[in-house]
Amino acid sequence: MSSSLRQLSIVFAIALLVAAACGPATTPGASGSAAPSASPTAGGAASTLVIDRDTSDLISLDPAVLYEFSAVFATHNVYETLVKFEGTDLSTIKPSLATSWDIKDAGSTNDITFKLKSGVKFASGNPLTADDVVYSVQRAIKLNKSPAFLFTDIAGLKAESIKATDPTTVVISLPKTASAQAFLAILTFTIGGVVDSKEVKAKETGGDSGSAYLLDHSAGSGPFFVDHWTKNTEVLLKANPNYGGTKPTLSGVLFKHVPEPTNQQFALEKGDIDIANDLGAEQIAALQGKSGVTTTAADSLLLVYVGMNATVKPLDNVNVREALRTAVDYDGIVKDLLKGNVKKVQGIVPKGLAGFNESTPFQADVNKAKSLLQQAGQTAVTLDFLIPAGPAPGGAAWSDIAAKLKSDWAKIGVTVNIKQTTTADLLGTYRAQKGQLVMINWGPDYPDPDANVGPFTDYKAKSIGWRNGWDDPAIAQKGRDAALITDPAKRAAAYKEITDYVLHNGPYVVLYQPSELFGFRSNVKGFNWSAIGWAELASVTK
Amino acid sequence: MRFLGFLTRRIVGIAAVMVGVSIITFAISHVIPADPVAAALGDHATDQQIAAFRAEYQLDRPLPEQYLTYVVGLVHGDLGRSIRTRRPVADDLFDSFPATIELSLAALVVAILVGIPAGVWSAISRGRLPDHLVRVGSLIGGSIPVFWLGLIVIGLFYYQLGWFPGGARIDNFVTPPPSRTGLFVVDSLLAGDLVALRSSLLHLVLPAVTLGYFSTAVIARMTRSSMLEVLGQDYMRTARAKGLQERLVILRHGLRNALIPTVTIIGLTFGSLLSGAVLTETIFSWPGLGRYATAAAVALDFPAVLGVTLLAAIVYPLANLVVDIAYFWLDPRTQRG
Repeated sequence: MSSSLRQLSIVFAIALLVAAACGPATTPGASGSAAPSASPTAGGAASTLVIDRDTSDLISLDPAVLYEFSAVFATHNVYETLVKFEGTDLSTIKPSLATSWDIKDAGSTNDITFKLKSGVKFASGNPLTADDVVYSVQRAIKLNKSPAFLFTDIAGLKAESIKATDPTTVVISLPKTASAQAFLAILTFTIGGVVDSKEVKAKETGGDSGSAYLLDHSAGSGPFFVDHWTKNTEVLLKANPNYGGTKPTLSGVLFKHVPEPTNQQFALEKGDIDIANDLGAEQIAALQGKSGVTTTAADSLLLVYVGMNATVKPLDNVNVREALRTAVDYDGIVKDLLKGNVKKVQGIVPKGLAGFNESTPFQADVNKAKSLLQQAGQTAVTLDFLIPAGPAPGGAAWSDIAAKLKSDWAKIGVTVNIKQTTTADLLGTYRAQKGQLVMINWGPDYPDPDANVGPFTDYKAKSIGWRNGWDDPAIAQKGRDAALITDPAKRAAAYKEITDYVLHNGPYVVLYQPSELFGFRSNVKGFNWSAIGWAELASVTK
Repeated sequence: MRFLGFLTRRIVGIAAVMVGVSIITFAISHVIPADPVAAALGDHATDQQIAAFRAEYQLDRPLPEQYLTYVVGLVHGDLGRSIRTRRPVADDLFDSFPATIELSLAALVVAILVGIPAGVWSAISRGRLPDHLVRVGSLIGGSIPVFWLGLIVIGLFYYQLGWFPGGARIDNFVTPPPSRTGLFVVDSLLAGDLVALRSSLLHLVLPAVTLGYFSTAVIARMTRSSMLEVLGQDYMRTARAKGLQERLVILRHGLRNALIPTVTIIGLTFGSLLSGAVLTETIFSWPGLGRYATAAAVALDFPAVLGVTLLAAIVYPLANLVVDIAYFWLDPRTQRG
C-alpha cells in the first residue's frame, strides 16, 4: 500500500467514525436509552420493560436445568405449570394448566389426577396436551440436573411415576413417604414448567433432550418467550402471541446484566431503566424523595441465622443456647444496622409460607441470659464465630452484623473470635460439622414449610440440623408427619408446635428475614414480587 | 534472518512461560483450603450430588492425574469446563475476551493520542505553565485508583451531565452488530451499521478514559523525559542549523528518537490495561474477561481461572513481541543488525 493510499484510508476511517459519532442516534443511558428506531428486534422500546439486575448467575434458561435466581425470575414468565401460587400468596395452590386435581390413596402410592385446561397453545402454535406434561416431567428426571432432586428426592418420583390417561388427564403416583402438599408446591416452581415436546424433540442433538436448544431458547406456553440471551449482557423476552391468558400490555422484558447497585440507581434516576433489582440499603436511602422514582422492600424467603454446634461444649447445653439467643439485640440489628429493610423473625419458617410462627420472644435481656448461663454452670465462654465475607442479605456487611453480635454476647460473658472467610470455605467447615458458631442464610428449595422444617429439624436429612449436631428424633418425626398432613388447618397447627419447640430448644439464633429491595420508575404499575423469587410480568404496565 | 531467529526464540519462550504458568496456577488453585464444590453447589447439595460433581470434574482424582488430564485436553484445544457457567472455558473466553480487547485497545488509543502529545508539549514548554499542567495531570493519573475514578466519571459525565452512557457496551435497544471479531466498533463498521457504531463508540468513552488515564500519565511522563534528552542532542542542533522548520525538527528528528523508550512503555502498559480492566469492567458493567475472571475467582472456578491465566500468559509476551517489532521499524540500527 502506498503511503498516500494508506493516509487516504486512515482519513476515510476517521471520517466514518466521526460521522457515526455525530449521526442521528440515541440518547446515551446507563445501559443505554430507549431509541425506538434503533432496533427492530426489541419489539418497541416504549413498551419494553427494562430491568437491571446482576444476572451473572445465569447458566441456562432450560426449566429442567436452571436453578438460579435470575433464570427462575425470567423463565417463570415463559413456562406455565400445572398449578401455581398467585401473586404474592405462597400458601394457597391455585389452578393453572390443570383446572382441577384430585389426590387418591392408591394402596402403595398416593395418586394425583390432574385435568388439563383445553385449548392451550405453546408459543410455537402447537397444542398443549397431557403428553407434553408427561414428557416435561420425565425429561427433568432423565436430565438429572440441579433441580431434579425436587422430583426424585423430595417427591420420590421415577420416570414411570407419571402417565397420561387421555389427552387432558395426567396421573402422578407419589410414594406414601412424600408429601402431596410439598409436591404441589414443587410443581409451581420452574422445574414444573411444561415444555412443547414436539418442538423440543425436533431440536434434540446427540440425545440431549433438547437441552442445548433450551439453554437460550424457549418452548413454553407462558405470556412471554425467550427472544435471545446474550451472555453476560442481556436476556430479552417478547410477548407470546399465542398466550391463552390475559395478554400482557408489555411487548417485551429486557433483563440487563448490571451488577453494580450504584449504576442501577443512577440508571433508574435517569429514566434509562424501569426497575432496579439489586439495590442495597444505601441506594434505597439515596432514592428517597427523588421525583419519578419509587422504592419497595418486598418479601424474600431467606432467613439469616447463627447455627450453634451442639456437639461443641458448652453449646450442647440447651440453656447456653437459649442464653445466646436471649442476649441478642434483634431490634438494633433490624432497625439500626439494616435500616428497617428486613423483618424481625425468630422462627425457622419465614413469613410468607404456611406454618410461619409470628412469635418473637427474644430481645436483649442481659440478666435473663446471664441467669441461663449460670443455670448451665457457665460464667465465661469462648467460642469461634465463622462468618462469610462480603455483604449479607439485607444490605449490611456480614462483618458488621458479627461485630454487633460479638458486642451483645460480650455483655453476658461470652467471648467470640470472629473468623471471616469465603462462603465456599465456610460451607466446607459447616458441612463437615466442624463449626462452632456459624452465621449464614438459608432459603427454601420450594415454597412449603417442609422445605425449612425438614432441614432444620431432621438430623438424618444431613442438612442444617446435622451440621449443628442437633439430633432430636422426636421433633424430626413430628416434622416428617406434618409434611404428610393434607388438611391445611391441622398442618398449620402441627408446624406451630414444631416451630415453638425449635425456637427454645434448637441450635439456632434466627436473626432476621431480609427483604428484596427494588427501585421503580413511577409509571411502572402491577409489579408484585413473590417471595419465592419472581414477579408475574404479564400484569405489569408502564 | 536475525529477526526470524529472534521471533522463533520468543515463540518458544512463550510456550515455556505457558507451561510454567499452568503448573503454578494449577498447583496454587488446588492446594488452597477451599472447596470449589461447595461454591458451585451451595448450601443445599446432598452428599450424592457432591460426589457426582466431584466425579464429573475429576476432583476425586490425585492432583498429578488431574493436571495430566488437563494438559492432554489443553494440547487438543480443550481448556476444560467452567464450574460456574458449566460451559467450555474456551467458549466463555471467546465470548468475553473481545470485549476486554476492545476496551483495552480504546484505552491504549486514548493513552497514546493524549499521552504522547502531552509529553512533547510538556518537554518543549519546560518550566512553563503547560509543563506544570501536564506534570500535575500525570501525577494525578499515576496515583488515582481506577475504581474511584470510574465512579467519579460515571457520576459526573453520565449522572450529572448526561454526556455519555454510564455502562454496558451498547444502548438497550440497539441490536449488537453481527459478531465477526467480537469488537463492536469493528463489527459495526463491517456491517455498515452507523447506529450501532455510534452507540458502541459512545459507550467506550468513559470506560476507556478511566482505564487509559493511568497509561496516559505514564506515557506522557516517559515521552517528556525522552524528549528532554533528545532535545539536547547535537543532531537536533544540526537539523535546526540546516534551516528545518521547528515543527519538523520536533516531530521528525526529536519525537521519532524519543519514541523508542515510549514504545517499550506502551507495550508494558497494554499488559497493565488488561489487569486494570478487572476493576473498570466491574464498575462499567462491561462484559469482558476481567469480570469473568473476578466471578471465576470468587466461585473458585479453577478451570476458568486457569483459562484466564493462560490467556494472560500469551497476551503479555505477545504485547512485548509487538513492541520488539515496533523497535525494528523505529530504530534502523536493529534492521541493519
